[in-house]
Amino acid sequence: MWRITLKGVFAHKLRYALTALAVILGVSFMAGTLVLTDTIGRTFDGLFTDIYHSTDAVVRGQQSFNPSGAFIDQRPLISATLAAKVRDVPGVRAVGLVISGYAQLVARDGKPIGNPASGPPTIGEAWVNEPALNPLRLLAGGHAPRAANDVVIDKRSASVGHYAVGDRVTVLSKLAPAAYVISGIATWGSVDSPLGATITVFTPATAARVLGTPGMVNEIDVAGVSGVDQDQLVARIDAALRGSRVEVVSGLSITQQGQKTVHDALGFFNTFLLIFALIALFVGSFLIFNTFTIIVAQRIRELALLRAVGASRRQVTGSVLGEALCIGLFASAIGLAVGVGLAAGLKAGLKALGIDIPASGLVVAPRTIVVAIAVGTLVTMVSAFLPARRAARVPPVAAMQDVIVEPQSPSSTRALVGVLVGVAGVAALLVGLFTKVAGRMGFVGGGAAVTFLSIAILGPLIARPVSRLIGSPMAWRSVTGKLAQENAVRNPARTSSTAAALMIGVALVTLMTIVASSTKASINTIIDSSMRADYVVSSGDVTGVTGGLSPSLQRQLSQLPQVATALGIRSGIVQINGATTTVKAANPRGILDLFNIGLEKGDVASMGPHDIAVSSQVATGRHLSLGSTVSVTFSSTGRRLFTVRAIYRTREVAGDYFLPLAAAQANFTQQLDVQDYVQLAPGVSATVGRRAIDAVLASYPTATLLDQAQYKQQQFKQIDQVLNLVYGLLALAVLIALIGIANTLALSTYERTRELGLLRAVGMTRGQLRASVRKESLIISLLGSAEGLIVGSLFGWAMVRALGSQGITELVFPVGQLLIVAALAGVAGIVAALGPGRRAARIDVLRAIAAE
Amino acid sequence: MTTLTDDIKDSPSVPIRPAARMVAGVKVFGKGETEVLALNGVDAQFAAGQFTAVMGPSGSGKSTMLHCLAGLDRLTSGQVLIGDIDLQSLSDKEMTIMRREHIGFVFQAFNLVPTLTAGENIVLPLTLGGRKPDREWVEGLARALGVEHRLAHRPSELSGGQQQRVSMVRALVTRPDLLFADEPTGNLDSKAANELLVQIRGAVDDYNQSVVMVTHDARAASFADRVLFLVDGSVVRELNYPTTDSILDAIRELEE
Repeated sequence: MWRITLKGVFAHKLRYALTALAVILGVSFMAGTLVLTDTIGRTFDGLFTDIYHSTDAVVRGQQSFNPSGAFIDQRPLISATLAAKVRDVPGVRAVGLVISGYAQLVARDGKPIGNPASGPPTIGEAWVNEPALNPLRLLAGGHAPRAANDVVIDKRSASVGHYAVGDRVTVLSKLAPAAYVISGIATWGSVDSPLGATITVFTPATAARVLGTPGMVNEIDVAGVSGVDQDQLVARIDAALRGSRVEVVSGLSITQQGQKTVHDALGFFNTFLLIFALIALFVGSFLIFNTFTIIVAQRIRELALLRAVGASRRQVTGSVLGEALCIGLFASAIGLAVGVGLAAGLKAGLKALGIDIPASGLVVAPRTIVVAIAVGTLVTMVSAFLPARRAARVPPVAAMQDVIVEPQSPSSTRALVGVLVGVAGVAALLVGLFTKVAGRMGFVGGGAAVTFLSIAILGPLIARPVSRLIGSPMAWRSVTGKLAQENAVRNPARTSSTAAALMIGVALVTLMTIVASSTKASINTIIDSSMRADYVVSSGDVTGVTGGLSPSLQRQLSQLPQVATALGIRSGIVQINGATTTVKAANPRGILDLFNIGLEKGDVASMGPHDIAVSSQVATGRHLSLGSTVSVTFSSTGRRLFTVRAIYRTREVAGDYFLPLAAAQANFTQQLDVQDYVQLAPGVSATVGRRAIDAVLASYPTATLLDQAQYKQQQFKQIDQVLNLVYGLLALAVLIALIGIANTLALSTYERTRELGLLRAVGMTRGQLRASVRKESLIISLLGSAEGLIVGSLFGWAMVRALGSQGITELVFPVGQLLIVAALAGVAGIVAALGPGRRAARIDVLRAIAAE
Repeated sequence: MTTLTDDIKDSPSVPIRPAARMVAGVKVFGKGETEVLALNGVDAQFAAGQFTAVMGPSGSGKSTMLHCLAGLDRLTSGQVLIGDIDLQSLSDKEMTIMRREHIGFVFQAFNLVPTLTAGENIVLPLTLGGRKPDREWVEGLARALGVEHRLAHRPSELSGGQQQRVSMVRALVTRPDLLFADEPTGNLDSKAANELLVQIRGAVDDYNQSVVMVTHDARAASFADRVLFLVDGSVVRELNYPTTDSILDAIRELEE
């Protein structure tokens, strides 16, 4: 039986080519993702090992909780005087005082080097004199920072900014911008800069002033005498420092913590990309199913002959599944190879973007190989299972008869099953979206997949009338259109499962488009109704974790005579009521001038350092009223109690909790403003005001001045970036669906060889034949995109409703954009028909009519 | 059943020239060792208004000759003239239009597009050419061939005889210069075959339709005005005003 199977594969290799291509695309995406993330992961592993190479122990501040998602630890600073105590501990050879914080180099053209909002971090550090604890290696001709205004910068920033030793450079920090002298240029271990970060290194005294607090450090790194046991050393230091609010960890465990943080972050990235790989494979499974169904139908006589000469049903099923196994293995292996190549390409691409991954090779883990081959093969075999079962049901007598492969009419069982599956899918989707059940995302994804399956099951029931309807304008007074229409409806099951593959891609595109448009409309509404400020000054970084605006900017802006109010907004990650959340803080006195936060009770302006304002939703949910106490845990300063002083409605602006600036200054680790809001003084024209503000901003190159319209545009642009990324990732699924259309057309025209020959004989030109195939493709793709638009709109509606509590209050169906999606799907359908159309037109008239 | 004469009184004028000619027709299939000489210098004329049957054993080249005459295939060398148009000089598109407008076909089987109704199949050569069918003419032909009540049916709902008669209507609908039939009765029972042959004969007698029919059935060939015998790619004999017996005698002689 195996020989027959193998012969079957080789005999139909052309017919299986597109099936294999679909598997290759899906598997290569998956393998590429795994290889890339593994490679990045190993790079970071190496980086952390390098950083803590000679570090045997680290003393650092205690953290009340771990703000998940934040790359940079937010810990309280510790006193530098602890270093003396540490140095006296037996077994300690050297200590290094680590100070780090936000510092941004400015290039000669006045533009910032690197942007932490959209790229590698921009870090400031203190020079560590102990070489074993300092990963920086000075290049010849430079020296460590000695004077208060000396800095050492990384080699990459030096080459990007065209700086040499002795040059003056402007550095942005939480203080006002200031000029420094470059005393040296350094590599970071063996690389120019770790992952493209820009690094500015100050003298310890300057660093404490510019990056942190004088007298305080972020951590104390300890190098032990050679041969010392890390755990023993940690225990001894811990004993020596008993009573101080610090923790001591071994070099090994801090390396592992760093590595784990990166692997966790990469895990999200990995999952995100793998979701799209799975979507692509899911779409591909429709194509595989179609191919096997069609090929089984075409080989009905051959299969019947096998049965007639004594093959059992099981053997026939096995032979078809065997072909699927061969194709699955073959395509997965190629997909794996292509995926590794893809990862290499992406790595090169990242390097071009300045994110250099110094690892020499790509990491192809055994796990990657197993997963890629297993998933690709399994998808192929599962998709071929139903056609294989059908093959086994071919009666032996079919070998002798002219079997008319007329599609069976859709049954009521199909309708029932389809509806039940659909109800289950939609139910799971709604549970995932609207309840707080564990594993919500699983419900959403699984529910969507099951809903798609139900449409695929129900498809044949609607494919005939809907395809006829879509085809009717083409069929009107056009014989090629008429033929296309008839061909599209002659086998509704085939047409519908081909269209279903496209439906998935179109539905997801529709969903994303609706969510994006609704988000934009919601932002528009919120800004219009809540923002009273004339201008926003933005650093591009909305998290405030890796960078932001120096508070000195806000002070300078407030002093301008053209400005009535300038307000800096800060942001911090805290724990409230057991949940980690971002809270905003600002000087309470300016808020009501600049924002309409829908104040319901209490007073904002009079808030003191121990007061808090909460949204009415939280107040209702947690039964808070004015005077109630709210406990807030800060990662650096721990638990603090606040008194509710105001309750407001508009949580889209202020969030659920809002702190006064004084509380932020006392408890946040990051003392930068995320944004500044500016209200012009009465009577000051926009031109005059803008000119005055721009003059101040000239020394803050990361700051951008936006009026309300520009601010909206900036937000829209961020949404569009995400949207385009998702579109790009979904493009693969759409591409596979189009390959599926081409595949079905190619197999169908092969099946219709005689008919096409006849048409050519009685006078159909090649052009007309191509037109007919093209129109058939157009009908299939429009059917798929119509289904996709409807399903996607329903998904979009549900998603927007579910995101209502996240501030997406408007539901928008962007009809124009969705029509463009449908039109593009149509165009793509026409493109998909090019190959099959050309092949059909090349059919030899004689061979076709002389067949049999 | 009515004959064609009743409906086609005002048929178009009859061409005087030979409807088709093959001059020194050579057709080679394959290359090198597998080379087969299907037509070996065939000269043949087909007079307008004449019904010619082409006979010969399997592999004699009779179907190849028909295909080349009908513009379905090209000669390796030599000429095929339909009227005074040299088929060899036509591009694929011109050849297609030639077939569409000047030539009618009836094949042994699979004459009709399964997705189209009988009526749509009939007017296919016209609609492909963007022409509007002359309804009276189509209905007249359909009535003459006894399929006027089957026009709304799909081919799968028609008997074999009905399918072949619908094909006849399709072949005649463009008023072709030549009607080519390749074993048109090959799949029919004798009653249906006889009916079809009577219809073809009727088209020749009453409407001066030129017909070339390939067959291996002497009885079918006896409906023709003339029989050409092909052996090994050459015309070896010609028989005018044949009967079944004279044809069978000729075959016997050729086999000796």
